[in-house]
Amino acid sequence: MTEPTTTCISCGMPLRSAEDHAKGDTSRPYCHHCAREDGSMKSYDEVLQGMTAFLANAQGLDQAVARTAAKGMMASLPAWAPARAQA
Amino acid sequence: MPTSRAQKKEMTRQRILDAALAQCADRGFVGLRTAEVARATGVSHGAVFSHFPTREELVDVTVATVGRAISDRLHAELRGAAGLREILTAHLAAIREHEEHYRWLAIEWPNLPPQVQRAWLGIQSAISYHLHAAAERARARGEIREVPQHLLFNTWIALVHHYLIHRELFAPGRSVLDERGAELIDHFLYLLSTAPTRASDPGSN
Ligand SMILES: [Zn+2]
Repeated sequence: MTEPTTTCISCGMPLRSAEDHAKGDTSRPYCHHCAREDGSMKSYDEVLQGMTAFLANAQGLDQAVARTAAKGMMASLPAWAPARAQA
Repeated sequence: MPTSRAQKKEMTRQRILDAALAQCADRGFVGLRTAEVARATGVSHGAVFSHFPTREELVDVTVATVGRAISDRLHAELRGAAGLREILTAHLAAIREHEEHYRWLAIEWPNLPPQVQRAWLGIQSAISYHLHAAAERARARGEIREVPQHLLFNTWIALVHHYLIHRELFAPGRSVLDERGAELIDHFLYLLSTAPTRASDPGSN
């Protein structure tokens, strides 16, 4: 059986071990991709940009398609759900 | 063992969902028939709608259940997989577990709800990410040629999906991954390999 894993509140990536967390700190509910150098969480626009690039590079998607998909994914994640669902 | 009303209700909901999953494995998600789900569950047609207010909602929950199962399985399979061959094998093992449903997702993707399409893109990107990381390591050792990340992934997924979608041509009524999966992995690794001739095991990396 698959053991339950928590996921990054900002991008949804599974957080399986300490090194997946920002600064390797398991008390931070977001991943190292979603953290700035100092460990604080990136802004909505920074994460959107990163996620768009991630999707576009991974599958060769059209930029607008990747951006729309990234927005949709972020709208269902706890860090962004209430505030920016309309963005 | 006495069961509460709430437990009974939950059990019925689960049985409806199981019947929907079974039907979707056979005929896909888009054309799900609620009357047949009711018959298979042994409840009235109306009872289905008391648990899932609309047909669309039942389709959404069914698809989400499958998506989560595939994604969980994939992450479990990928854990510890480092080499290219290991990752390709883990990928096919995760799909194999849900081959019928996965096949329908690949066929019906354009007609599925947006949140399902996004979940699918998310899963595919995660696979591409792992594949690319393993390819970079193999390339650093000079074992494979350089291929852009999206083409590495798209070439692999095109091969796998072609065999899945056209399963009736390759393994009618059977698992095409069981019968052809190993051949596809060997072939893909051979295309990437820098070795001048077909190596017996290009993916020992
Ligand atoms: Zn994240």
